Amino acid sequence: MVGLTQTVVTAGMGIALIGISYWLFKVRKEKRVAADGGVQDVVDEEGYSHHEKPSGIVRWLTTVDHKDIGLMYGAYAFFAFAFAGISVLIMRTELLTPEATIISLDSYNALMTTHGTTMLIVFGTPVLAAFANYFLPLLLGADDMAFPRVNAIAFWLLPAGALLIWAGFFLPVIEPSRTAWTMYTPLATQSSNAGVDLFLLGQHLIGVSGIMSAINFITTVFTEREVSWGELDIFSWTILTQAGQIAFAFPILGAALIMLVMDRNFATTFFAVDGGSPILWQHLFWFFGHPEVYILILPPMGIISLVIPRFSGRKLFGFKFVVYSTLAIGVLSFGVWAHHMFTTGIDPRIRASFMAVTLAIAVPSAVKAFNWITTLWNGRLRLLTPMLFALGFLFNFIVGGITGVFLGAIPVDIYVHDTYYIVGHFHYMLMGGMVFAVFAGFYYWFPLFTGRWYDEVTGKIHFWLVFVGTQITFVAMLIMGWGGMPRRYATYLPRFFDMHVLATVGAFIIAAGMGVGLVNIVLSWMYGERIREGDPWDLERDGLKTPDWDWFDENRVEPLTDGGSETNPIDSNTEGEQ
Amino acid sequence: MMDSLRRALALTTAGGIGLLTLSGTVAAQSTSRDLIMGLNRNLMILAVPIGIFMTALLLYAVLKFRNREEPKPTGESKALEISWTVATAAILLFVGLSAYGVMAEPAVTAPKTVEEVEGDPVEVDITGQTFRWIFQYPEHDVTTPDTMVVPVNETIFMRVHSRDRIHAVHVPKLALKSDAIPGQVNTLQTTIHEEGNYTLYCAEYCGRGHSKMYAEVQVVSQAEYEEWLADKQAEGE
Repeated sequence: MVGLTQTVVTAGMGIALIGISYWLFKVRKEKRVAADGGVQDVVDEEGYSHHEKPSGIVRWLTTVDHKDIGLMYGAYAFFAFAFAGISVLIMRTELLTPEATIISLDSYNALMTTHGTTMLIVFGTPVLAAFANYFLPLLLGADDMAFPRVNAIAFWLLPAGALLIWAGFFLPVIEPSRTAWTMYTPLATQSSNAGVDLFLLGQHLIGVSGIMSAINFITTVFTEREVSWGELDIFSWTILTQAGQIAFAFPILGAALIMLVMDRNFATTFFAVDGGSPILWQHLFWFFGHPEVYILILPPMGIISLVIPRFSGRKLFGFKFVVYSTLAIGVLSFGVWAHHMFTTGIDPRIRASFMAVTLAIAVPSAVKAFNWITTLWNGRLRLLTPMLFALGFLFNFIVGGITGVFLGAIPVDIYVHDTYYIVGHFHYMLMGGMVFAVFAGFYYWFPLFTGRWYDEVTGKIHFWLVFVGTQITFVAMLIMGWGGMPRRYATYLPRFFDMHVLATVGAFIIAAGMGVGLVNIVLSWMYGERIREGDPWDLERDGLKTPDWDWFDENRVEPLTDGGSETNPIDSNTEGEQ
Repeated sequence: MMDSLRRALALTTAGGIGLLTLSGTVAAQSTSRDLIMGLNRNLMILAVPIGIFMTALLLYAVLKFRNREEPKPTGESKALEISWTVATAAILLFVGLSAYGVMAEPAVTAPKTVEEVEGDPVEVDITGQTFRWIFQYPEHDVTTPDTMVVPVNETIFMRVHSRDRIHAVHVPKLALKSDAIPGQVNTLQTTIHEEGNYTLYCAEYCGRGHSKMYAEVQVVSQAEYEEWLADKQAEGE
């Protein structure tokens, strides 16, 4: 019976594949494809390939335009962020009481796993690619990415990967993975749940997508650049460095995931006690995992380095040093992975050398912070929403950086390893750092990609709620972690009750802020005041206008016919002219 | 600029000293905790003023330069860049060296075998097993789950094992932590100064029962310890 079903399924798949190949073959015959992936017969002399975009859903399903793909990355990242955010709210609600009352231990562990993996892999890397896709070509003066079709494939792998990762929550017979995002063996090999395999394969798909887009970004910076290396802006530098890190780190993740899938299903012994070793997994995982956190923070640093000068009215202080420190972080980030393993009993000499590199990487990070503060000095600060998020980033970065240096000191790390102190520290960096920078960039470029203004007062409320909530939540975590509260606990001892309640209150303040932000974004996108000038932030005044705003300006003055939707800035410009 | 900087500096130092006096003295339940908390306090003496200084600088800049009429053009200062790079590096070098000194202590990084321990330590084999802790006293042929009884003011040498997956011994009040990894033996060494009960948590996520995987460390006088051992041995026979 099983054999018959399988034959039928295989035959069906075969026929479907032949059909798709035939269809693709026909389509390809009808439309000649240019070597760079753009569709030749719709490209005009200026190289704009979006003149004859189809309308409606077909546009989004077939687009290879970097701006459309950037928007799709953004929409996808929004859903991933919401998914991981809601999962953490359920967990924080559960943690209002020491015992498991609302959800079971298993559900808590599943949510904890999905929160980590979703934030870091499903949301984190792609949301930065959203910015890079939309703005990298504009900042470089390029008409598109180097490989537009690869760009589209890289995007379309993401929803598939995300669905596999979350499959356990939706499919009736499969349970979600409860391995924690670190998937430590032997725990990850002992669970017979097929949801874990889907979880691993989903991450693999997202890893492949990340490698594709990284190669695309690197090639774009090298070959499509209309500006010289000397004129290259700071955001592009950070994307270039980050893409280089992805190109080296993600293949390791891919390989390790496949090895784990094989250990689970094909009786290999890469990570078995009697085979390779459970520690081998940790080395491979963190060889990817630590560069990953810098992958998540470098482009946000680029956004901050772009936003702070533009709202201070003066150029970035020590531009060259900020670029050097970016490159230094990019290289050093590959030499710190074992600082996640100080308690595993690895050789003390190895520990000492990893401590040295871990402390060394704090130098370029501190250099950046000093340069940002000096940029503010003697400036004309405009405390608008993007700038508030950038300043919030700076403060959180200082707190996260200093708590991080403590973790670099091995004896202190041993004391707080696997406690809430670690959780508090890296949330200062990822929530307080990365997410704040994402919002700084989002509000900064909102006029560019929507053609409308967001509401400033609501934007400020968004910022203050998220900022205050972040402080409450993560300070509470630092305190209870210092008191010994271990992480990944679905239940806890009553002595940690107060701090857990405080952290939950903070989490809900953050959620309220995000709610306000969402309302602002949706309403402003639909009804916001239309942008009438090509330089909405008045950057020309201090000579800080970048090519992305030139692009906005040019396309506003000379509107192009576009098959796009009403939210396209070009449409609003047409109306503005009349 | 210099004036404002100086004022910010003065404020920072004052605040830093205030905070430090509030933070109080170091608790000393065990030699391991002594060492780690001592190191932590040294780091705090640096970190708190630096943190306050940076935050004050940031706040001051925001308040002073908000909505100014004309920004001054950005200059370039290699001297400034080099000096803060060197200053940060010097501070981190201090952090590294003091951490290295503490790390070399056996109460922080225990020797691999009991032969390397000075004197005659109490030996305990701690084994993690989903979701329980088991304690064995090889010198006395005693095995007991959930509670580890050890004498006060004696060197204790612990070998940490796991029977199935990775767990971690975590006794924050005694600053003891070591992963329990199947197929591998990790070690801990400490001397405890205060009698009392301390919670042992599992700190490495190990599945459903992870958050309930507690044990208790009972630190008792030498006489009580010997009595307890004798009782256990009698039970065993």
